Amino acid sequence: MEALLAFSHRTGIYEFMHSTWGWPVVESLHFIGLSLLIGTVGLFDLRMLGLARGIPIGALHRLVPWGVAGYGLNVLTGIMFVSSVPDQYLFNPAFQTKLTLMGIAGANVLCFYRFVYAPVRDSSGGAIAPQSARIMAAVSLVCWVGIIVCGRLITYYRPPYHWCFWCS
Amino acid sequence: MEFLVWFEDTAFSTWMRESGPAFFSSLVLHSIAMAFVVGVHVAIDLRILGFAPRVPLPLMRRFFPVLWVSLGVVTVSGVLLLVAYPAKALTNPVFYLKLSAVVAAMVITRTLVTQLMQDETRDGGAASTGARRLAAVSLLLWGGAITSGRLLAYTANLMLASHAQY
Repeated sequence: MEALLAFSHRTGIYEFMHSTWGWPVVESLHFIGLSLLIGTVGLFDLRMLGLARGIPIGALHRLVPWGVAGYGLNVLTGIMFVSSVPDQYLFNPAFQTKLTLMGIAGANVLCFYRFVYAPVRDSSGGAIAPQSARIMAAVSLVCWVGIIVCGRLITYYRPPYHWCFWCS
Repeated sequence: MEFLVWFEDTAFSTWMRESGPAFFSSLVLHSIAMAFVVGVHVAIDLRILGFAPRVPLPLMRRFFPVLWVSLGVVTVSGVLLLVAYPAKALTNPVFYLKLSAVVAAMVITRTLVTQLMQDETRDGGAASTGARRLAAVSLLLWGGAITSGRLLAYTANLMLASHAQY
């Protein structure tokens, strides 16, 4: 934690986040990032689940890099939040759940590209995605929506009022 | 303002404010629905700007059921949040900025849908410069809507109408 705070001070992030507009600006960027993610990856998942058939899956996939950019923006803004008030996050069960869901989503992404995407990429517009793809798309959607919910819950579980029971 | 003092005193408004689950569910549903409303629009705007060019633009209308449901949820949850803290929002100019940005962005989308997305047999490759400009403005408006939404929590003049009386 001290390392996080030291990093935050050294980079000037701490000062910025504690200025009048720092936190709201970074929060807005965080929401913009999540909208980019849901709009691209979310729609891609929905297509694999069968919505908007007629759109070739591989063609729609070209929007996903924007979702990755949104995710990257959220990692950066997230680091700004956590490094500035680390004790409010690291011991916060909502935040811990959020990180866990991010881990699951990440594993899901890796599995998708390693095992499932290649045959699906060149399928025709009307193609139905294979069941493995549909399952991973569902997992993805549930994870990202769950991450949003956990993100909103963070403020309700701030230590020490709701100390997490698995913390020592 | 008198009306708002009275309104905030009603059981409905008080319940929305004081019931943890009621307020939190409205907040969370508002965030999720916002993500899908903005997300669908952003996907269409990006396509018009030339990204993912092999996506047949008119077929993106098949994502609209998600948009309609999300618009419903975002509006209902938004109204409930307004019921909880009406004076806080209605006395804040940023709230009207947010609504204006949303309306303007949706007017642009209406125009683009009419111009470019009605005929499923025609997907004429690159969109016109005018359409691309509209799509770019739309993206900026959604960014503005999200930002003003976030800023609502930080720019309020007062929490409750009764606070204005002292």
